Amino acid sequence: MMPRRTVDLVGLAALAVFVALPTLAASWLLGDLAVYFAYAVLAVSLAFAWGHCGLLSLGHAVFFGIGAYAMGTLTLGMLPGLETIRSTWIGLAFAVVAAGGVAWSIGWFTFSGRGLHGAFFGIVTLALAVVFERLAINWDWIGGLNGLMNVPPIVLGLNGDGHELWEPVPVYYVMLGALAIVVAGLTVFQRSDWGLALAALRENELRARTLGYDTGAMKRRAYALSGSVAGLAGALFVVQFGFVSPSLIGFALSTEALIWVALGGRGELVAAALGVIALRLLEGQLSSRLDAWWPLVLGLIFMAVVVLLPRGVFGEAIHRLTRMRGI
Amino acid sequence: MQAATMFLDGANAVLILMLVALGLAIVFGLMNVINLAHGEFLMLGAYVVLASGQAGLPFWAGLALAPAAVGLVGLVAEGLLIRHTYARLLDTILATWGLSMVLRQSMVILYGPGSYSVAAPDLGSVVVAGAPYPVYRLAIMAISLAAIAGTFALFFRTRFGLAARAAIADRAMASCLGIDTRRLDRWTFSIGAALAGLAGAAVAPLISVDPQAGLGWLVPAFLAILVGGLGSIAGPLVGAAGVGGLDSLVAALASPVWAQLVVFVAAILVIRLRPTGLVARPDREA
Repeated sequence: MMPRRTVDLVGLAALAVFVALPTLAASWLLGDLAVYFAYAVLAVSLAFAWGHCGLLSLGHAVFFGIGAYAMGTLTLGMLPGLETIRSTWIGLAFAVVAAGGVAWSIGWFTFSGRGLHGAFFGIVTLALAVVFERLAINWDWIGGLNGLMNVPPIVLGLNGDGHELWEPVPVYYVMLGALAIVVAGLTVFQRSDWGLALAALRENELRARTLGYDTGAMKRRAYALSGSVAGLAGALFVVQFGFVSPSLIGFALSTEALIWVALGGRGELVAAALGVIALRLLEGQLSSRLDAWWPLVLGLIFMAVVVLLPRGVFGEAIHRLTRMRGI
Repeated sequence: MQAATMFLDGANAVLILMLVALGLAIVFGLMNVINLAHGEFLMLGAYVVLASGQAGLPFWAGLALAPAAVGLVGLVAEGLLIRHTYARLLDTILATWGLSMVLRQSMVILYGPGSYSVAAPDLGSVVVAGAPYPVYRLAIMAISLAAIAGTFALFFRTRFGLAARAAIADRAMASCLGIDTRRLDRWTFSIGAALAGLAGAAVAPLISVDPQAGLGWLVPAFLAILVGGLGSIAGPLVGAAGVGGLDSLVAALASPVWAQLVVFVAAILVIRLRPTGLVARPDREA
């Protein structure tokens, strides 16, 4: 029998720790962690696009923001003709479809024919993030600069009725479950034939195309998948936070997500997820103590990791563990 | 507003953007480094003018100091950080983003998060086509033109420029012919930073000087060099003229908000339809 991969063992160990945590930890910590799990879903979607498919998306918060706005407008009953539908579940589906659809359109625009590559794609997505942020700020229907307020939490009933989920422990488990399902699902996808073809495309697009793969369509679908996962992250975020503002959709969160993924490790989804959770916990501890020095320290850490540990902190750790196990 | 004033303001914006884009394009084209800290170099230039003003130096001394000081920062950053990321194009994006965070936050720590204003030197105004126009803005244009001309002279009239263009065309071959590409990289990055510092110093009286001042320039400058194309040194200038000119035009006709949207969308369309840029050499892809 083939031994389990190190990354799977690390992921399962982390999952076990997080499942057991509510018996020990204070409820404020669980509330924080639940938000970090939503961020981790965003980080995982970016690590999939960037680390696995080689699509460096510098504007990934666009899909996070679209997911958050989709969830907010639907559960607030703002969509014309659909005012009576308030279901959290339809909201989740709407967020995933809307973000995935926009990602598919961007992918169609950028990848078809002689598409954009590498850095060009990155800069175009960066500019798109600024465009979407501007649009959100100037679109009064979705609240303009103020954003949407009082977005309802997760409601278990089929159409916005029934039990509201807001106590820290249930929300924590819902978010942890969502993160675990996303990581497991994308990992299975990465190891399927489709995922393998995407990895081949990342390594050498010309060769993949010459071997008969329609690389433009593959990238488009992969980007749409990544975007829909980021949209799910946005929806999971907003049901906890209750508030959507244009800052969720633009430049700032996009670059922050990039930092999380680079620090954690873009090569492994588990590493990216652990990276954002660890960094956020560290930030909670240090930012109040270091005050204005914290962003400076973060910048220095970030530069050091980029130069010294291109695999990222957790990516490097997983790599070393694998070598120690000798498999 | 009068048409002549509008035209001059537009020309002002275009020339500054050319200066910013030129520095970015030299670093990108020559070293294959995507410098996300370029906006922060501009911001540093504005702070140099502010600091020299506070130290009692005249404005022009600050303007002269800025490119030197920011060039030095670029030299140090290249030695400590950038050179470790060569040949990893996408990692240069990350490394320089970290650098930009550090530079921004250093200014927050040194000068606080608030904004400062720098007084423009009082040069009076001249009447252009029936409307008064401040001479300082004309001086900015002259400075920009001189710096652009100087950069062209450096790249087309000196041995350094010859070596640099050889390295753009074929890095490995240039290295084999005995060109010290290591030294070339160091100076290129420093010159790119100095151009941004000069632009920042020149616009310091026109903007509010704060740690975020550089961010707004980064995306337009990148769009300008991609629209123009990286294959030649004239490309970024054409791109900057397009991006800056369209921005000024739409801002005057509609509003600055619309201008940014229209410019970004138009630039993305051009980049998509002509990935090699408007000014492309037919024989090689950018």
